[in-house]
Amino acid sequence: MRLEGVTKTYPNGKQALIDVDLIIPEGDFLFLVGPSGAGKSTLIKLLVRDETASEGRVEVAGHDLGHMKKRAVPLLRRRIGIVFQDFRLLPRKTVYENVAFALEVTGTPRKLMVPAVERALALVGLTEQARQRPDQLSGGEQQRTAIARAMVHDPRLIIADEPTGNLDPLISWEIIQLLLRINEMGTTVMMATHDAEVVTALRRRVVGLEDGRVVRDEVGGYHREY
Amino acid sequence: MHFLRFSVRQSLQGLWRNRVMNIAATVTMVLMLLMLAALVIVISGVEAGLSYVESKVEVRAELHDGLLEERVLEFQERLSGLPEVSSVNYVSKEQALANFSQSRVDQGQEDITGLYTEFNPFFAYVAIELRDPRQSRELISTLEAETGLVRTVLGQQSGIDKLVGLTSQLRNLGVVVLGFAGLTVLLIVINSIRMALMARAQEIEIMRLVGASDRYVRWPFILEGVFIGLVGAVITLLLLLVASPPISDLASDIAGSVPLGFDRSLTLQIMGIVIGAGLGLGGVGAWISVRTYLR
Repeated sequence: MRLEGVTKTYPNGKQALIDVDLIIPEGDFLFLVGPSGAGKSTLIKLLVRDETASEGRVEVAGHDLGHMKKRAVPLLRRRIGIVFQDFRLLPRKTVYENVAFALEVTGTPRKLMVPAVERALALVGLTEQARQRPDQLSGGEQQRTAIARAMVHDPRLIIADEPTGNLDPLISWEIIQLLLRINEMGTTVMMATHDAEVVTALRRRVVGLEDGRVVRDEVGGYHREY
Repeated sequence: MHFLRFSVRQSLQGLWRNRVMNIAATVTMVLMLLMLAALVIVISGVEAGLSYVESKVEVRAELHDGLLEERVLEFQERLSGLPEVSSVNYVSKEQALANFSQSRVDQGQEDITGLYTEFNPFFAYVAIELRDPRQSRELISTLEAETGLVRTVLGQQSGIDKLVGLTSQLRNLGVVVLGFAGLTVLLIVINSIRMALMARAQEIEIMRLVGASDRYVRWPFILEGVFIGLVGAVITLLLLLVASPPISDLASDIAGSVPLGFDRSLTLQIMGIVIGAGLGLGGVGAWISVRTYLR
């Protein structure tokens, strides 16, 4: 993933990102930190091409997203798994169905679907809960379901937007461990977070955003200077 | 195949979840399609009546008294030679009187033949039938030019013109009313599908995030509209099926000998129009909604 001189100006004139340069090599584990409104969400939207950059170049897995055809966007998104703070599970579907949904709507044949879903559920440790609905699960289990759904396409990149924001510290650690394991298996992970404790403890690469600019990019702790 | 199964299942689920709105949409669809069918039936009825009347139209040229027989024969031959004329029939003074008397007797009135033994007020005439009744105007002017032979020309052009005018007015009015009805149905379908889209906003968002292609996102909703149209059309046809014998009877009561009613081609025509309009409105409405509310 590579961002070169990226600026994003919304139609209302608000500049969410200003001249951002960022290179994320394959297999990296990166924290994206910064106060609300610093541009974290915009950055994520640019990476999944929910938005396009006003200036500069966004490149994911060799594709220039600014010049990507609309038809190609779904193919890009199948190579990126996304996880949100609010899980975004479908309440009427079981854990299994929620994960399978990602394959179903991308036209995966049934015989490939079953093993892929089982593999993803095993990865997040939810094989036992496959038949339960989201409201029967704890917050941590719901987030693990969302991670399983993000992983079911075997993506090269996982983007997690505040995945622990709604979870208590102990459960948060479980989720972080899971993301670390996914990263060890070779998937690039980018996690946006407010959680200073986690960032400091892990001593991974930290990219700080503030008012739309990258204010630091280093390996190390999390200084609450915002 | 997978895509089709997925879309059909999603759209049926959507129809069920949003059933109140969808029933409303289907009912309006049925009402509009019934109006459409009624208009087709009425117009085809009037047209059948019109062509029946037209086929009966003849132009009469009353002749002066005391013409030489060969002049009349020559006139008849000349008329038969005209391309628009299909038949020429000569009726003598005596025959005209006899016909008149007979028609009075047929209507149950007094026989007046005896009154006219001395003086026959009727004129001999040639009755001319046309291949295309709409050409009667030209024929009438041709006949009127024959002042030496022809006394007066009796045509029924004004009556035909009125009927033709009425049919086209009826058609125009029907098209306007149907236009409004169609627009209402379209708006209701658009709204119904919009509700379905809103109800599934989260699902749509997730589909996009995990990389579903546009057809997986859109087609379930377009199919929902198509289903509303299809169900509306089927209900309409069932209602028509139940109602067609009484309508047919009523029509033949009113029209008498005019050949009206549900023949095979009219039935097929109505089926085609109703199903086509239902599917079209449903599909187009849904498509507009999807285009408008899914960016």
